[in-house]
Amino acid sequence: MSKVYDYLVIGAGPAGMAAAIEASNAGLCVLVLDQAENAGGQIYRNLGQVGIQQARVLGPDYLVGKPLLAEFMAANCDYQPMAQLWHIEAHEKGFLVVALVHGESITYVTSHLLLANGAMERPMAIPGWHKPGVMTAGAGQILLKTAALLPKQVVLAGSGPLLLLLAQQYRAAGVIITALLDTTPKSNYWYATPWLMAGLTTPKQLLKGLWLTLVQRIKTPYITGVSGIEVLGEECVTGVSYTVAGKVYDIDCNLIMLHQGLIPETQMGQLLGCTQVWSENQQCWQARVAVAGQTSVPGLQIAGDAGTIGGAYVAQFNGRLAGIVRANSGVATLSLQKRLLTLWLCLRVKQLHWARGLVDRLYRPADWLSEPSSDTIICRCEQVTAGAVTAIASRGCAGVNQLKAYTRAGMGACQGRQCGLNLAYLVAHAQQRPVSKVEPLTVRPPLSPINLGQLSRQTEL
Amino acid sequence: MTDLLFSCLLKDSPMCPITVNGVEHQVPARLSVAAALLYLGNLAIRKHPVSSEARAPFCYMGVCFECLVIIDGQHKQRACLREVMPHMCIETAMVGVNP
Repeated sequence: MSKVYDYLVIGAGPAGMAAAIEASNAGLCVLVLDQAENAGGQIYRNLGQVGIQQARVLGPDYLVGKPLLAEFMAANCDYQPMAQLWHIEAHEKGFLVVALVHGESITYVTSHLLLANGAMERPMAIPGWHKPGVMTAGAGQILLKTAALLPKQVVLAGSGPLLLLLAQQYRAAGVIITALLDTTPKSNYWYATPWLMAGLTTPKQLLKGLWLTLVQRIKTPYITGVSGIEVLGEECVTGVSYTVAGKVYDIDCNLIMLHQGLIPETQMGQLLGCTQVWSENQQCWQARVAVAGQTSVPGLQIAGDAGTIGGAYVAQFNGRLAGIVRANSGVATLSLQKRLLTLWLCLRVKQLHWARGLVDRLYRPADWLSEPSSDTIICRCEQVTAGAVTAIASRGCAGVNQLKAYTRAGMGACQGRQCGLNLAYLVAHAQQRPVSKVEPLTVRPPLSPINLGQLSRQTEL
Repeated sequence: MTDLLFSCLLKDSPMCPITVNGVEHQVPARLSVAAALLYLGNLAIRKHPVSSEARAPFCYMGVCFECLVIIDGQHKQRACLREVMPHMCIETAMVGVNP
């Protein structure tokens, strides 16, 4: 066995980049593995290469990542882009991380590991969401960031800040928004009121959010209190129908972008046996993480949106903190300056997570979304409907993992990333127990597809 | 019909020759394969192995596995995670073998 890294960071988004900078500055031997071609993560995707026209459309909150990206590119750490991680396990020297790089499977050994692999969009399972012409709002934004591809006309549907931001960016680029269907339940505004206090601690963000909402409400065909969204069309999308105050409406369209907030990507932590907790506020499973990223597994840290959804700023602070804490086992050995920085970062992370509570409560998904009609496809990979899942669950199936044996739900190529959460909701409804009591899908390698040839040609680094 | 859905802001970026299902095309360099297929007007890029319905990429960030294609003979490649390379050979699964 050759090289053992001091710190292996998975993901080159704001959290991963910040942690790698701090740890490598402190003299650790650091490797960053990222699945994209360029560093930046989803939030700063393609930031180093983006053209002037795209930059104008994407706005200042995207360009603000440039100094961090530059600092990361100059840092003295190893960086491997296009690494598709497919296995990860505990090992006597720490952890084994196995990834496909240019079609070859390479095993990396590290004493300490940081998961900063970010978030994904909460799957919004509505009838017809598997048809060509439906994609996520995040997909729309990625196409803009990486390829400068813009739709001519689009319907945006769902809830959450990203949907509003995309509407803003699309309008700036001259895209026709046929309708913005806002599914945020009216009652959420009431329930979110107590969180205003938290939101007020970040007044600039709060004002920005209010302005963004207000502008979209005035400048786009903004429809509130929407429920029962259904995608119409046989082979491809031809329209969308929705309900407002008991009345059903139809719109013609070829393209719909859905959004329902973000959830952490927890697979890697789960595979390592990291304790998972249900977050009532963010309505998803999360690893139990301390402020500097420490988890229930010794030597394993999780930072940024991979732990708790907080956004780019908190991810960056969280990453820096994780890197500093890793580089200096114990705060006692730190210089006074570093000690103050650590304290400040801790407070900022705590404060920003608290302030995020307002967004979480305001944009909590509507109840009707967790009880889709029986013909709705829940598991896209294995084509399993909500009806099939409910039928098995109401006959007393033990949980989502036993559901696999009966329905194959969660056993396809995406390995439950797109259905896991919705399966848990369905089981919870059918068996009238809280979703927090339904265990999440068990995660098993390979985390991404690998063929037998690649498996047999394993190389160790 | 689908070529009307998206248009590209990049006007004079360098182009990259790729082959899609045996036909040569020019796409802007540095696009992901999934974006390049969309640029060329292919919205649906595979038939679902269970239902045979047409499917299209959904997330464009590596989590939905709806964009699996064959790239230079390698099966099950996520088209959203690979950038186009000159003379890359892409096979989608609208007909024939499923990646």
